Amino acid sequence: MARPFIQRSPMPGLGLSMGITVTMLSLVVFLPIGALLMKGASFGVFNVWEAVNRERVWAALLLSFRMSLLAALVNLVFGVLLAWVLARYRFPGRRILDAAVDLPFALPTAVAGIALTALYAPNGLFGSLAKEVGLRIAYTQWGILIALIFVGLPFVTRTVQPVVEEIEREVEEASATLGATRLHTLRRVILPMLMPATLTGFALALARAVGEYGSVIFIAGNLPLQTEIAPLLIVIKLEEFDYDGAASIGIAMLVISFSMLFAINLIQIWSRRRIGHV
Amino acid sequence: MSDITQSRFRPATTEAPAARLVLILLAVAGLGVLVLAPLATVFAEALAKGVGAALHSLTAPDAWSAIRLTLIVAGCAVPLSAGFGIAAAWLVTKFSFRGKALLITLIDLPFSVSPVVAGLCIVLTFGANATLGGWLVANGWPIVFALPGIVLATLFVTFPFVARELIPVMIEQGRVEEEAALTLGAGGWRVFLTVTLPNIRWALLYGVLLANARAMGEFGAVAVVSGKIRGQTATMPITIEMLYNEYLSVAAFSMAALLAVLALVTLCLKSALEWRYADQLAATHRH
Repeated sequence: MARPFIQRSPMPGLGLSMGITVTMLSLVVFLPIGALLMKGASFGVFNVWEAVNRERVWAALLLSFRMSLLAALVNLVFGVLLAWVLARYRFPGRRILDAAVDLPFALPTAVAGIALTALYAPNGLFGSLAKEVGLRIAYTQWGILIALIFVGLPFVTRTVQPVVEEIEREVEEASATLGATRLHTLRRVILPMLMPATLTGFALALARAVGEYGSVIFIAGNLPLQTEIAPLLIVIKLEEFDYDGAASIGIAMLVISFSMLFAINLIQIWSRRRIGHV
Repeated sequence: MSDITQSRFRPATTEAPAARLVLILLAVAGLGVLVLAPLATVFAEALAKGVGAALHSLTAPDAWSAIRLTLIVAGCAVPLSAGFGIAAAWLVTKFSFRGKALLITLIDLPFSVSPVVAGLCIVLTFGANATLGGWLVANGWPIVFALPGIVLATLFVTFPFVARELIPVMIEQGRVEEEAALTLGAGGWRVFLTVTLPNIRWALLYGVLLANARAMGEFGAVAVVSGKIRGQTATMPITIEMLYNEYLSVAAFSMAALLAVLALVTLCLKSALEWRYADQLAATHRH
């Protein structure tokens, strides 16, 4: 044994803090997730696949994933812009803007859901404007997109902003003295530095959006095969007391989110290697 | 910097004034449409029939019981999650042991699980037709469709908040001060209360604030486990859904406005903390 399992330390409270951490983590997180996996195991792998491999479930999973991807892409572009503006420019109202970025974290999703629906419904403020140009937003896939953009908005900004604040001006000065235009510097010097943080924020926004429920169900319309998201399908199965079906879709979603977590880590390792430590 | 930008020479490390103006306007317009407009809508819809109607809907018995339930749930879940956060942060930052990185990943796990899946997991563990849940129900302790289930679901989704605010701060502060206190003869609790706690109090408050906002507003996980019994297991967000689906717009938005005020208070406190204690919180500035 090269290294003991726990290094001896004069610090008090090892037993207590280890006990609390492990007990609560087991009771609140592992036991429930284990129960879900057990339910899937007792139902049988083949049956789980059968329950997931249906047109309605595939439609819901693909819709959740497609809309989350689109929303995360919008948030990627807007989030970097916002992070840049908040970190670099000084203008009246900047602090209010900075605080407003966190609103989607603080505002309960049900509140956001009904507010967005009221706003984008055909008789709402933005909905009636959209109707003028022949576009329906609420109760269509566009509505889902708007809700997912809302909940994912802070992620990219909050991961990129500290990185922008840490960029040393010397790098930009060097680039400028070497004859680069400002646009060239931004594209070739700044953006690569922001890349790992941007990707992390993108992945966090994506992961959040795939599992989002509260803000989406009000604005989505919830039509099977068209505007029905995967978490809603779980709720419907539970209301029908189809616990096996609900567990199957739950396991599918768990697999998707864990693969995304894994992908996030790979992306971060890859970009760190390519760009160096940021 | 504005005096320089106004002269003919512009430093090479900033954009042209016109470009800056365009970017700022884009940011303001984007946030206005995406975030501030929905917030304003909540209050506009709540007050659509006047202040009286809004207040009247909030004094209905079901509204009161929803508010009370939400306060009870947050009152149970937030201290538990804070206690866990402190213990986990202490364990992770004061000791060296194998599998620490794995433990940190596991603490963050609830963030990557959909709230609905979290609720589903709790139903499958503690529901009446699960082994454990059936035994508990038979002994008179129903968890699902009752208060304990709602607290558990809330605990699941708020679990990582305090720990992930505390861990970076406590790593930065190291353990030199605690070791000094120990050599001077202080006991374990005394070290924690008089040395560690003052150092981490703002990060702790910050984490509790975030956990509380999430606890009071949680919808997906609670919707699955609560059973939505009016007057008994309907929290404020669940009540908003029920009122909204009954087309009681003013009542739904009045309760939503109450939660929106809570969100605004949370943001104000959070911003105030960030501005005053920027240095101590700098390490935690990542979500």
